[in-house]
Amino acid sequence: MKIQYKIVILFVILVLLFLAFGRALLKDKTYQPTEMVGKKVPNIILNDFNNKNKKISLVNLTNNNFVVINIWSSWCIPCKEENYFLLKIKKNSKINILGINYKDQHTNALKFLKDFGNPFNLIASDTLGEASIQLGAYGVPETFVVKNGIIVAKFLGPINEEITGTILNLSK
Amino acid sequence: MAGSIANFLLSVSLLLSISLIFLLTIKINKKNFENLSVIYLCSDGIFYLLFISFILLVYSFIVSDFSNLVVYQNSHTTKPLFYKISGSWANHEGSMVLFILILSFYLFIFTKKKIDPELKCFTIIFQLILIFIFLVFLIFTSNPFTKILPTPVQGLGLNPILQDPLLAIHPPFLYFGYVGFSIVFSFVLAALMTKKLNSFWSREAHFFILLAWSFLTIGIGLGSFWAYYELGWGGYWFWDPVENASLMPWLAATALLHSNIVTQKKNLLYSWTALLSIFTFILSLLGTFLVRSGVLNSVHAFANDPFRGLYILITIFLIIFGSLTIFLLKNPSYQRKNNSFFFQKDNFILINNCFLIFFLSVVLVGTVYPIILNAINGESISIGPIYYNSIIKPFLFVFIFIMAYGPFLEWNKNSNNSFIKNLLILFIISLVFSLIFLFLLNNKNISLTLGILFSFYLFLTVIYDAFREKKLSINLSRILAHLGFATVIFAIFINGYFAKEINLSMKVGDKKQLENFLIEFKNTKSIKGPNYDQITANFLVTDGNKKVELTPSIRKYNQPAQFTSETSIKSNFINDYYFAINLSQFNDNKISLRFYYKPLMQCLWLGVILISCGGIFGLFKKKYENTI
Repeated sequence: MKIQYKIVILFVILVLLFLAFGRALLKDKTYQPTEMVGKKVPNIILNDFNNKNKKISLVNLTNNNFVVINIWSSWCIPCKEENYFLLKIKKNSKINILGINYKDQHTNALKFLKDFGNPFNLIASDTLGEASIQLGAYGVPETFVVKNGIIVAKFLGPINEEITGTILNLSK
Repeated sequence: MAGSIANFLLSVSLLLSISLIFLLTIKINKKNFENLSVIYLCSDGIFYLLFISFILLVYSFIVSDFSNLVVYQNSHTTKPLFYKISGSWANHEGSMVLFILILSFYLFIFTKKKIDPELKCFTIIFQLILIFIFLVFLIFTSNPFTKILPTPVQGLGLNPILQDPLLAIHPPFLYFGYVGFSIVFSFVLAALMTKKLNSFWSREAHFFILLAWSFLTIGIGLGSFWAYYELGWGGYWFWDPVENASLMPWLAATALLHSNIVTQKKNLLYSWTALLSIFTFILSLLGTFLVRSGVLNSVHAFANDPFRGLYILITIFLIIFGSLTIFLLKNPSYQRKNNSFFFQKDNFILINNCFLIFFLSVVLVGTVYPIILNAINGESISIGPIYYNSIIKPFLFVFIFIMAYGPFLEWNKNSNNSFIKNLLILFIISLVFSLIFLFLLNNKNISLTLGILFSFYLFLTVIYDAFREKKLSINLSRILAHLGFATVIFAIFINGYFAKEINLSMKVGDKKQLENFLIEFKNTKSIKGPNYDQITANFLVTDGNKKVELTPSIRKYNQPAQFTSETSIKSNFINDYYFAINLSQFNDNKISLRFYYKPLMQCLWLGVILISCGGIFGLFKKKYENTI
């Protein structure tokens, strides 16, 4: 190949890279998790917490179902508070609660469940926190209420007596 | 006052550099290489001018001259003197001054070398162009001597996380490494322009490559050590883009260091060495851009103004385009020599060069891909350690095997195979050792077995290599560096598989038995530091019959008001016990904290020190001809 062509190719590649980097640079960095209420549950496949080989599909799980999704972690102190209310929901209703274990160590999470009780019908692992981002989560704890595949409510921070009531009402 | 003088000095050095570039261009065109001593004197002058400006900046920090914007933004009168000084380069503007100062420092050393005047003049031109570009950037977009009126009474203070003795020396080392490759870059472009890319070039360049490489190694080591004990995340390497930014030039430089040896010894691989020289510096610049421009969110992102980032970006692309065009146009076509034997040293070095470039590409893709993807379609992905570990690990074993074998081969003939039997014996010993070791530790992980096997094998072969010949001093550099590498890999594998992390929430007087550790929270103490208040928690950890006292603490800095968690690490050479308090999680007298058990961390640091020592010893070798 002639050297002139090589130089042109080099130039084109560099310009493309320049545009990409320049765009990345000028982009607003403030992070905005998408406002998900009223939207369909994203198609996320998670690993089962107790069985690594088992997968959990959020879409399949929530289709024609009422599910409360709770993002929690053993290192999160407010999660311990809200655990009591989640247990209460489990005791007083037949609502399915899916726990997403966020950026956690498996052993610590197991200990958490042993110490405080396990309110979850099913637990998924989100070791890297990616799925939670796709779900539009800001952090832990966070609770999503999903009815027939549509997110109907979202609660930031630990749930309390009042939110527990709201969730029970939504399920009716 | 100091600010005005320094500003003047910066402008003078800018003018001096541009006029020198013109003068040298004229001289080269006329092929007139007389009176060069004046030019050398002027280029030394640039170094002195920049040095004085840098000292003036440090001075402004020491006397807390808040009429200077940078001092106002990054300093405070109550800050200890040491951090006032280090604060001068712990910010974007100050660090750019340091960057340019080091560019001129390398030029300063280079002009003292006795080499062909044409080659020398070209090198000086290229280096001066780099100095010029960054001086323009400094003076017009990030001037460190901007005044504010009226003069504030007090400064805003330095980010407490940067108030650490290690961080005071980490950036200078890293810069001496990054920027050191600038002179190799200028030198190789000059050699391409003058068609003097030969074994003489290679010998002269070797010194600068080794110097910069050693600094870079130490710089990365210090950064990692800082992350380990200051950030309190319990790790030493997170495959964070910022860390990757420094690892990429290191990988390229390591490849360069080795390919340059082949160039020196066998007059081979000229284009490859030239290309690596160019890419090492480009990757250093790319690292600076990624880290500094704010394209990544990190502790290092000082240049929050995107236009500064855009300037660096344009500059980098011009430098890449310019240098690669010179390479394409002037790339010498050397006759390929017939390599009649496969089992020669140079072939093995070349194979491992390919591996290094492969590792480099993995890191490059992992670092840059998320940025580009996000820019193109707004999708955010996070690339974690799993990606790097799973791709790099299998090839690392082959890499180490070749690294262990290569040094025993000859340069120019098929080696006599007397050592093969011994190497086989060493391999069997390492195999037995790793199996016994894992049996004792009760672990059946295959990749751990391979990691221990190969790192131990490398270790043994290096020791054998050291005792094989009597001329140890000649190969000392390689032996130390390879020994260090074996140590690092061994420590990484052991640490990766046996480290433990436990989350706790305890109040004073609590005792907890977790896994093998009995953890006791004894008491808390309040201490007043020079510019912070501190609460220290006292813990006693019992591991078997070992008792360790640990005192993690939380600091509240006055200026800026900010909390930091100070870790407490105790080590008995084999294991580290590590405590860090979680910030902002206080709950009815309980504090929540993380306890880490990290085996062989000291071994890891020792390995890094050995690698650096290998580089430094290499610098003091007189006769390059007889080495390796």
